[in-house]
Amino acid sequence: MLDFQRYQLEFTAHIRNPKKHRKPANVVEARMAVYRQAVLNNIFSTISVCFPVCQNVLGKRKWQRLMRGFLADFAANTPIFREIPQQFLSYLHALASEDLPPYLTALAHYEWIELAVSSKPADQPAPQSSYDSANLDAAIALAPSSELLKYDYPVHRISPRFKPTTIEETYLLVFRNAAFEIKFIVLNPVTFMLLSHIQTQQHQAQKMTIKKVLSQLAATLQYPDIAQFIHFGQEILNDLHRQQAITFR
Amino acid sequence: MSNLADIQGVGLGLKRELIPQIQQLYQDPAIANIHFVEIAPENWINAGGKSAENLAWFVERYPIACHGLCLSLGGPDPLNTAFLKQVKQFLTVNKIPLYTEHLSYCSDHYQGKAGYLYDLLPIPFTEEAVKYVAQRIRQTQDILGQRIAIENTSYYAAAPIATMDEITFLTAVLQEADCWLHLDINNIYVNSVNFAHAQNPIQLAQDFLHKIPAERIVYSHIAGHYQQSPDLLIDTHGKDVIEPVWNLLDTAYRLFGNFPTLLERDSNIPPLPTLMQEVNKIAAYQAKYRVNRTDAAQANLAHATC
Repeated sequence: MLDFQRYQLEFTAHIRNPKKHRKPANVVEARMAVYRQAVLNNIFSTISVCFPVCQNVLGKRKWQRLMRGFLADFAANTPIFREIPQQFLSYLHALASEDLPPYLTALAHYEWIELAVSSKPADQPAPQSSYDSANLDAAIALAPSSELLKYDYPVHRISPRFKPTTIEETYLLVFRNAAFEIKFIVLNPVTFMLLSHIQTQQHQAQKMTIKKVLSQLAATLQYPDIAQFIHFGQEILNDLHRQQAITFR
Repeated sequence: MSNLADIQGVGLGLKRELIPQIQQLYQDPAIANIHFVEIAPENWINAGGKSAENLAWFVERYPIACHGLCLSLGGPDPLNTAFLKQVKQFLTVNKIPLYTEHLSYCSDHYQGKAGYLYDLLPIPFTEEAVKYVAQRIRQTQDILGQRIAIENTSYYAAAPIATMDEITFLTAVLQEADCWLHLDINNIYVNSVNFAHAQNPIQLAQDFLHKIPAERIVYSHIAGHYQQSPDLLIDTHGKDVIEPVWNLLDTAYRLFGNFPTLLERDSNIPPLPTLMQEVNKIAAYQAKYRVNRTDAAQANLAHATC
């Protein structure tokens, strides 16, 4: 290693964790402080803006400690700014702290997903729906930007006044509409199964008609009245279609 | 708009708050002095949705300069060539003719891995560092297939191991790397105050400017800063440009002829009409010195294409 690099590594180690690493010899303390503050403030503001609820439920002091921990203990490996919150998620996942609530990683993921969906590549010209409603012969697909998510906690309801203590499986569909707004829809378990099934087929590039997907699901669930199941299913799909969460072709 | 010569006159840093305002006043005489805009690739690479749509709008209407923040030319970790390839593609797709970076570093080698600190950290001014940074600039230019410009960076902590002053370091790197200079006028002033040690900072800044190799200038920045104490200025880009910095710009145009100049404003961003007062002021200084630049500099601009 070159001499100036040894100095650089002392310099950054001190910025990362001033309690553990002394500043390089003969650097003016007031000037060193400028860098300590600038780096921490920068990371603090970049991450905090993405995780307002995490910050609120933890409180200022714990949040500040997490930001310091991220800087001190984690080598963030992306130069792209919008990917920094994801680095923080990785840090949280690896952090087994009894001091943090069990729902925190789920909540953080839920807060991050909005950024993730808003950053997805511009859609190919949005596939035009050829059907206005859930015609049984229509092929069905999820919006290209969508994320189908399952959490162990009702992440969308967490706040300083509601901190869940027991597991409650929660299903969400997150997607971007044509106006680039990010939408969240809470799903019941059956609708989640339905959309998961559609997504799986989509990944396998299978054309999935509404009739086929609903019949298959009714069979899986051993639902006695298939016609009724299809009728309910169509209503749900029409509703999701109105919100631009799915397309019919 | 893929020619370096299209980056001329006055530019404005493209902050998100300004996007709708520029779109609304597009082709209005009130913003006619904005000739180009500047973006940081780290903010726009992999941007989808609304951001991608906004970028496309500007690509069609304005010449764009790219000013990077995280290449870490002076960093101890290996140069991030995967990122550089993303930058190269980004420049090509968006027809961006100019890519500049800071003469600083923003990453380290931590717990066995490259880690980013996302701030501009000062490279110690040593012979070894000159060779090291120049080699990485050449490597960058090889990967991109184009010349880059490096910016003289503001800094706050002098390295006790330094063996030369900033201007010597800067000119040595420019020479050794054979790259262009992105001259930051405000940073000259900030560093002059921060390291004046009882000398006259204005004189120090003028001396620094007089030693700049004119033929390497392709681009420049001007900005405001925050005065933390009488001998410590922080390069926040959060206030109006102060008079001594305008005077330096005036001197620079007088010495070197006109070069494209961009107004940076990154925090406390006033409404566009207010910012235009500073944009127009840059244009007025340029009008004052509308004379030909040296032949060498002209040739640089004429022959460089994307």
